[in-house]
Amino acid sequence: MGVSKKVVEAALQSKLNPTFLSVLDTSGGCGASFMVEIASAAFEGKRLLERHRLVNAALADEMKEIHALSVTKALTPQQWQEQAQTSKTS
Amino acid sequence: MQSASRTLTALFRGSTRHNSGARASLQQFYSRNFSTSGEEFDSHSDFKPVHKPDQDVLSVKEQIDADIKANPVMLYMKGVPGAPQCGFSAMATQILQIHGVPFAARNILEDQELRQAMKTYSNWPTFPQLYINGEFIGGCDILKKLHESGELKEMLKSVPRN
Repeated sequence: MGVSKKVVEAALQSKLNPTFLSVLDTSGGCGASFMVEIASAAFEGKRLLERHRLVNAALADEMKEIHALSVTKALTPQQWQEQAQTSKTS
Repeated sequence: MQSASRTLTALFRGSTRHNSGARASLQQFYSRNFSTSGEEFDSHSDFKPVHKPDQDVLSVKEQIDADIKANPVMLYMKGVPGAPQCGFSAMATQILQIHGVPFAARNILEDQELRQAMKTYSNWPTFPQLYINGEFIGGCDILKKLHESGELKEMLKSVPRN
């Protein structure tokens, strides 16, 4: 059971066209739990809840198999740049 | 219908738990479950959602409507606040406790009908699910972000404290 990291990545890649994408299998390999960091222009002008909804929708099919999806970052490309800058300098 | 089936599950569980004297325990359960209204014996009374007696006949959707209306902070979670059965639900509970707001919780693991209904109702695939003042806020990740940014504190200002 579960889905592979590749499947999750492919779904997010095709549906949200991210400028940054990191998918981490946090289930220890069984594909039931993932941690996602994503930057996409699709998030522009959207609240956090709506951004998460976009991610959930992009993974609607996969979610049937995924037990836990943690979206730790859902940023616009610009926000991504900014936080990358701050984390570098701090 | 809804609450009848819920009580029925409780009855089943009760009767398997007390194998000896099944009839006596059945009677016990009858008196325990039908004398009080809308009581769910699995949740801690501190966190029990506010009930009006006549809500027993409500559909699942009406029940959710009523819950999020009656409870300014309403959490749908796996397990109960005193014993969460999932790390994400545990974190949500902890964050709310940090803010010291009273909140009600429903254990979706105890109610498959509610569990499925919540996914549709909130258009959200996972648990926990948090409602503040009747508005869907999100899951654990969002709650954590709102907590860190200080937005949660603002949102909870309107909630009356005990």
